[in-house]
Amino acid sequence: MPRRVVITACSAITPIGYGKQAVVESLRQGRSGVRPLRDDGLLTGRIHSQVFGTVDYPIDFAFSRTHRKTMGPVAFYACQVASDVLTASGLAQDFITSGRLGVAFGSTHGSPTVQRDIYKTFFRDLDDKFSSIGAVDYLRSMVHTTAVNITRMFGITGRVIASSTACTTSSQAIGFGYEMIKYGMQDAMLCGGADEYDTTTVAVFDNLLACSVGYNATPERTPRPFDKRRDGLVVGEGGGAVLLEEYESARRRGAPILAEVIGFACNNNGGDLILPNLDGISATLRLALADAAIAPEAVEFVSAHATATKMGDIIESQAIAAVYGDRPHVSGLKSYTGHCMGACGVIELAMILWMMEEGFLAPTLNLDEVDPRCAMLRHTPGVIAAQTGIAAVQNFAFGGVNTCLLVKNGRGVV
Amino acid sequence: MTRDELHQQILTILVRDFEFKDPGLDDNLRDDHGFDSIDAIELLGKIELMLGFPLTREEKERAMEIRTISDILDYLEAIQQGRSA
Repeated sequence: MPRRVVITACSAITPIGYGKQAVVESLRQGRSGVRPLRDDGLLTGRIHSQVFGTVDYPIDFAFSRTHRKTMGPVAFYACQVASDVLTASGLAQDFITSGRLGVAFGSTHGSPTVQRDIYKTFFRDLDDKFSSIGAVDYLRSMVHTTAVNITRMFGITGRVIASSTACTTSSQAIGFGYEMIKYGMQDAMLCGGADEYDTTTVAVFDNLLACSVGYNATPERTPRPFDKRRDGLVVGEGGGAVLLEEYESARRRGAPILAEVIGFACNNNGGDLILPNLDGISATLRLALADAAIAPEAVEFVSAHATATKMGDIIESQAIAAVYGDRPHVSGLKSYTGHCMGACGVIELAMILWMMEEGFLAPTLNLDEVDPRCAMLRHTPGVIAAQTGIAAVQNFAFGGVNTCLLVKNGRGVV
Repeated sequence: MTRDELHQQILTILVRDFEFKDPGLDDNLRDDHGFDSIDAIELLGKIELMLGFPLTREEKERAMEIRTISDILDYLEAIQQGRSA
């Protein structure tokens, strides 16, 4: 018998703030977290896009050296938000270490900052008598560094899922965590994703002509999902975590229920690794509805993947229109943060949870003139009061991976 | 280097890079300072730079028996003597 799964804690470090209060304020004020690209002394001068969704405020990471030594910047984000949700959850220490709590957490490719340092060591003109690759460099840079630094820091002994599928990394983590609990493999899962400041990711998308280049002098005006003058995505950084728990045990221990995860789907386009695919995306949305056993009309808000690329937004608009029609409000929340890569799904989910709690919806930032090819949707018209019941989080990744999460407002969970 | 010089340099490394607080010669590295096998590998890299020559695989494996700062100094003296012999 499948079990119900609820979200009982949430945290996010984003370009528009750390935690609920800061993020909600930025969403209400229409504040962008996109800033000029920093000079990294290597790639910045060669990249056309000179903007980045930046975490530019200090964070008081209070980790001991014992923990810090195996952490690159990406794991700092991951462990900080993991610490936040475990603290907020009030879960007993004996449960955390019981094996009944697992971790599903990922990043695009571990820590590129540490990887870059390793390559520098290899290629710079060093006296080769010494091996100056650090003993912990692999642990700090490896692709599952976020998940296992979390398990190490908190003594978590359950399952580990370290998804690494670029833009669907954290939505997969949440979805797979949901399935772990739903089908009885674990009783709780700490899920999320993180990615650190990284110019190589910008360079990759820049080279593919997918990055925004026309707003370098006015970073806050890009990205512009669904807008007629959009010109590409903006890479960003950050991290987010949610705690998923089996519904009955969460109720018994009196945990606050922020939302119920009622559906999840993940599929692949089965072909091209880059181009958006209407059939594949539409199928994902329908599979999620089927998993939740709800009709499309039940979905009131869609957090679109909406990276602001030329074709991606059009194909996603067509998929939303085909599956939902023009009923749900639609926003592209990357317009505030840029595209936080492996963290985007969980950050966008956090924004939804907090907007549900506060009773409002934020519109797509920089949507000054809707592209006629995206105009068939019900774009959120501004900051509006809304008691959203059910919302969808859509994410699509290079590699043809698509995900859709469906969540129900915690107020309606009985 | 004399034992005193080695002692001073090792203390500097342990305090600066491994955040040791009030290290004592006979403290247990693991129990008293949370120093683990990963730290040991990291320290060997720093010792190579300090001594100015790379350690052999066998020398590095011998270092895994070290438990105290005194042991480190014994180890370094033995390495130095072996090289000068």
